[in-house]
Amino acid sequence: MNTLRLIGTFLVCAMPLAAALPASAADDPKAREIMRQVNGRDDGDKMTARMTMTLIDRQGGERVRDIRVFAQDAGADTQRIMFFLSPPDVKDTGFLTYDFDDPAKSDDQWLYLPALRKTKRIANDDKSGSFMGSDFNYYDMTKRPLERYDFALLKEDEVRGQKVWVIQSTPRAPEVVKESGYAKSVVFVRQDNYVVARAVHWLEDGEKLRYLDATKIEKIDGVWTVTETTMTTKLGQATLHKTILRWEEVKFNQPLEADMFTVRRLEKGL
Amino acid sequence: MSLRVEIENWFAAFTRHVYRRKWLALFLMALFIGAFASQAPKIKFDASTEGFLREDDPTLLAYNQFRDQFGRDEMVIIALTPPQVFDLGFLEKLKALHEDLEANVPHVDEVTSLINARNTRGEGDELIVEDLIKSMPQTPEDMDRLRERVLANPIYKNLLISEDASITTVVIRSNAYSSQGAPRDELAGFDDAASAPKEKPPYLTDDENSELARAVHEVAARHRADDFPMFVAGSPVTLNEIKTSMRRDMRKFVIMAVVLIGALLFLMFRRVSGVLMPLAVVFLSLLSTVGLMAWAGVAIKTPTTILPSFLLAVCVGDAVHVLAMFYREYARSGGKEEAIVRAMGHSGLAIVMTSLTTAAGLISFATAQVAPVADLGIYASAGVMLALGYTIVLMPVMIAIFPIRPHHGESDKARQAKLDNILTAIGDYSAARPVAVTVVSLVILAVSLAVAAATAKLSHNPLLWLPKTSEARQATALVDARMKGSMSVEVILDRKRENALYDPAFLVKLETAANDLLTTHENALFVGKALSIADVTKEINKALNGNDAASYAIPADRQLVAQELLLFENSGSDDLSDFSDSQFSKARLTLKIPWLDAVKYNKFLDTLEKDFTSRFAGEATVTVTGMAPMLGRTLTAAITSSAQSYGLAALMITVMMILLIGDLRMGLLSMIPNLAPIVFVAGVMGIAGFPFDMFTMLIGSIAIGMVVDDTIHFMHNFRRYHYQYKDSRRAVHETLLSAGRAMFTTSVVLSLGFLIFIFADMGNLFNFGVLTALTILVALLADFVLAPALVILYHRKDDALEAARRAAGSPA
Repeated sequence: MNTLRLIGTFLVCAMPLAAALPASAADDPKAREIMRQVNGRDDGDKMTARMTMTLIDRQGGERVRDIRVFAQDAGADTQRIMFFLSPPDVKDTGFLTYDFDDPAKSDDQWLYLPALRKTKRIANDDKSGSFMGSDFNYYDMTKRPLERYDFALLKEDEVRGQKVWVIQSTPRAPEVVKESGYAKSVVFVRQDNYVVARAVHWLEDGEKLRYLDATKIEKIDGVWTVTETTMTTKLGQATLHKTILRWEEVKFNQPLEADMFTVRRLEKGL
Repeated sequence: MSLRVEIENWFAAFTRHVYRRKWLALFLMALFIGAFASQAPKIKFDASTEGFLREDDPTLLAYNQFRDQFGRDEMVIIALTPPQVFDLGFLEKLKALHEDLEANVPHVDEVTSLINARNTRGEGDELIVEDLIKSMPQTPEDMDRLRERVLANPIYKNLLISEDASITTVVIRSNAYSSQGAPRDELAGFDDAASAPKEKPPYLTDDENSELARAVHEVAARHRADDFPMFVAGSPVTLNEIKTSMRRDMRKFVIMAVVLIGALLFLMFRRVSGVLMPLAVVFLSLLSTVGLMAWAGVAIKTPTTILPSFLLAVCVGDAVHVLAMFYREYARSGGKEEAIVRAMGHSGLAIVMTSLTTAAGLISFATAQVAPVADLGIYASAGVMLALGYTIVLMPVMIAIFPIRPHHGESDKARQAKLDNILTAIGDYSAARPVAVTVVSLVILAVSLAVAAATAKLSHNPLLWLPKTSEARQATALVDARMKGSMSVEVILDRKRENALYDPAFLVKLETAANDLLTTHENALFVGKALSIADVTKEINKALNGNDAASYAIPADRQLVAQELLLFENSGSDDLSDFSDSQFSKARLTLKIPWLDAVKYNKFLDTLEKDFTSRFAGEATVTVTGMAPMLGRTLTAAITSSAQSYGLAALMITVMMILLIGDLRMGLLSMIPNLAPIVFVAGVMGIAGFPFDMFTMLIGSIAIGMVVDDTIHFMHNFRRYHYQYKDSRRAVHETLLSAGRAMFTTSVVLSLGFLIFIFADMGNLFNFGVLTALTILVALLADFVLAPALVILYHRKDDALEAARRAAGSPA
């Protein structure tokens, strides 16, 4: 199995070389090392925060959701629980997710509907699907499995006065494209703290692009935290949809209850 | 008369000037023409539905609002008619087709088929929103379950599968916006980047639509087989087929017009210079006009397809008049310069006047509400005036530069005399029976008017422009009949308040209104499907309640509606954005109706809007938009525009006639033989069943500007001879003897120019060509028959007095 994968990897890497394509198609160890640092950086644990999600449609119409968020690491996996504070019609609706580090394992999600007094598990093995109706997809919420991509360092640049590496990531297999919804991506990694300051994603279907912009990055409790980020879906000159996520009252290393990330807790509410 | 002499002298002096500075004149003209012509290759073609309306048309603005919110509502529908839909072999082929379309068709927003149709269901505590066929059914039991699931889902019915489960479709939705004009550097597309454009992004262009349609056909061709039959329908492919026909027809018309005009010129002059010089003038006029359009960013649309061959036929007249006179003078004097100076001095005013009247008929379209008709008015009249200018400058230049042998052949004399005899005989016959001719003419006109009013059939249906054998027409008929409609109407209910769609009472009302529409059945028009957020809510509610059919209903609790919709959004589906705006204040109701003539839509749309406005009074504002309303609006705009342009053209040309003839009453009288042919042809259209559409309604204004030239010649000469002989019948005879042949020849040339359109692939152009040619010939007949009778009646008293005076005076 391992040998096969090795041969596979070799073929994927060697074929572009054999075809004398630009070197950017091949994997660049320096870029890979940077991406390893991105995935490996301390992004905090046992977090509590308030998140507002602003959805903006083509016409500029806005919808704001107010959400209380708790998150913790479980080994390499991430567990999150969120409670809606507003709009009023969905107040107390809760959302529990287990994001598994193993890309082969589909995430677990439960939604509690107070009006129905029922929890529904959501089967969703398609990570390219929208995250709560926003421009983010579930794939954007998880760490990238590095071994499934080739990386290339395109250039060094600046974003909001900070030096960044501009790195292109290309999926090694069509399945990865299908699963993530992205044909390729370019990420802007800050050189001082390995935070992804910006990213451009080419959507699998057609000519649309998604622009991720971490507009506010702060150090909270010693952890570099993105406290405001936008994701914009564009086609040509047109902005099709836009989502702004703002994080307030972010705290790390909070004493979270042991059963915080369970369905029982989800049904109990805040 | 002194003004006339002054103008003639000016033309002579100008021509001499040009003749002597031929190289400078040529250089300046080359610069001028080159500037326009260099733009010509950039000309674009546009067959889109929205292209027919002006950019500020309220219907188009409403549609743009809709497009901005929900995307383009036009879609390609591939209908598959396999022996058996629920068959593993077929489903595998369907999947291959689906994937090929997704991978290889550009500008696509979404491809939907049974393969990826949204399948929302509950399993225990789990809500599953997934693609319908995630993995192929392997056992007969799996296949049965799939069949049950598909047939039980009301949302799929008539959208993805026919009611009898014999047809399934692949639906391709295109992007609303153009991918052109994207920043060349994608990495610079962040909102705060300096390069980020602020103006409104362009919609999907007609060229992009064509790329999409072509790619769909290519993919379809790869997969089509005897056991995998498919039909590609929908407006994007239909419009592309129209565009292809347009381009092919236009090329054909230009070639045919050049050949036809060349042949007629040769028959007329029997020399090479007589063919090449006029052709050069009209061809350069055409090239400049197209260049002007390209420079102004105006695309060629179906009505403007006629422009090139139209200009060639109409504009050659100027050059012919000048050249005919030149050859005569040249044969007499043998001096080229003197001949062209005289020819221009003699004909200059005449060609200016005929060009002005033709342009006046055309410019009456300039304010038309149908955008391409306005374009036709502006650019055809510009082309006519350019041709006039080119004739005045280029003819002397070419004559100065190229060697031309004087010709002394007088061989045509006999043949010409024969024609003159026939034409004057007609005039004499009618001049002898003015009352009878006038009465018969008036009766014919009255009958025509009555017939036209009783039988006139208004129409706007681009699908019928295509031949019966066209794929788009056949596929549309199939989809209309078996999938209950290929055209869409969109109803937007705006409640103006955030989250107002969560209201169960509103959703139930929406559901009821939609269900009531499904019973519509009038005049071949029916509503085959109605889809809204109410259906999605019912779908989720059912899935959350153990897939129980009884739960396919709107929950009574507002909060439950909100939470169910939130759940649906969290399931990873972004389909809600197809049914509501992001604030849940606007609901979209999509209706599927068959592709019919727009005339059938207007009444339905009117009733629909009234019905919804009263149902939702005080709750929501109602906007009806989509493809069908756009077609309906195009028809209304065509009717209003043609009525306005008729009025305007008739008014302008009447004023010109009065000024030209210099007599109010004679000027008004002269309009009768000009307007009569239009009324007559309207009657013919009624009897023969020709539709009154955007094209046939153009005929009146186009024809009036051209046929009036004959009347000008007739009246002008008649007055001169009447003054000379004081005898109307003699004046009629002399008029037809001197001007009859020219009137006859130019009318025949013009009508032949329009008859070219009978070779069009597109039925609308065929009708236009035949009817315009008929109008011109009838107008010619009116000038030979009705005009003499009218002038005789008009001068009856004078003539009687004159006869009495002569009778009294002669013995003395």
